[in-house]
Amino acid sequence: MARLQFYDLNVHSIPDGKNPSPEMAALAKHFGYAGIAITNHSNTEYKPSGFESNDFEVFKGIEIVSTNASKLHGLIGKYRNSMDVLVVHGGNEDINRAAVENRNVDILAHPQTPKDSGLNHVLAKSASENDVAIEFNLDAIFKGRGGRRVHALSHFRKNVEIARKFDVPMIITSNAASRFDLRAPREMLALAGLFGMDKDEAVSALSTVPAGIIARNKPSSGFIRQGVEVIDIDDMDCDMNSEPDNETKETGGSN
Amino acid sequence: MKILPPTLRDKKRYLAFELICEHDVTREELIREMFSCVGSLIGDIGSSECGIRILTFEDSKGIIRCAHTKTEQTRAAVATITHIGGGGKRAVVHILGISGTVAGATEKYLEGTEVFTL
Repeated sequence: MARLQFYDLNVHSIPDGKNPSPEMAALAKHFGYAGIAITNHSNTEYKPSGFESNDFEVFKGIEIVSTNASKLHGLIGKYRNSMDVLVVHGGNEDINRAAVENRNVDILAHPQTPKDSGLNHVLAKSASENDVAIEFNLDAIFKGRGGRRVHALSHFRKNVEIARKFDVPMIITSNAASRFDLRAPREMLALAGLFGMDKDEAVSALSTVPAGIIARNKPSSGFIRQGVEVIDIDDMDCDMNSEPDNETKETGGSN
Repeated sequence: MKILPPTLRDKKRYLAFELICEHDVTREELIREMFSCVGSLIGDIGSSECGIRILTFEDSKGIIRCAHTKTEQTRAAVATITHIGGGGKRAVVHILGISGTVAGATEKYLEGTEVFTL
């Protein structure tokens, strides 16, 4: 089995966070991530990153902040094409709803409102149809203490239950504002276990769900148009090795 | 008192870790912070079930011992450490690996590994 690739798609760098993105990236790489997305809030100035590495990627992202649903849709349209990861800063009933109803949104961040977990059956259905991932920002658990953490845990538990029922993609992020807010992938999985996410769900929320978001927004170099792609010869070899029987049968049949 | 036969002894796991921190941290500061974090997350009952103990800690690397069925809970509890010592020094504990023996954890994960430098 190939080694899993883990991603943290909600990380804030200067001026939103405390550290410049190369420092965040260096620690995330050390922790074993395959990539992070720098998603600074849209109401702060954006600074692109300068971190280059062979086996680590820094994705361009944005966390859109708006208090008005129609303005939110406008901002989503404005940023969609230039960003690899588009996150909406949730936490308000109208904004949560507008975010899950827009196909161009990748992630609805921290939907929990002051009153409740911020997700219900109506929003969950929309999120599932539009493929908007619901975020579990684990910083609420490892940074919070006392009542705030208790609330975060019970909201997360409720959201896992709803997301599971309506097949909503779930994503785990650190929502880090400093490099000390990053946690290694295995620690993130252990923290996700605290609010009822099972092992497979947690692993997919840190690997396949974020990988899917990146794949659909950042096509590979061989991408031509929807459904047409030039595949690298190395990838072909991998496929042939994994299913050698099928491959030979098919070529035999075509001849 | 006579020591328990091996089948009756508690089974343990040993977690090798590195501490990434802005400043040097003493063993006492780490112990105090760890027990406060573990206690706050899983309470006194959970802490006693986990049986967490810091065995060695030097050069920002060390070994934590816990009950063999509680490794995930221990990982989660240790991940909640954000500050160590007075003055709000930021810190992260990174678990390098888990082993069934102290020697195994030391050989596999601690010897020759360089702690991440900020």
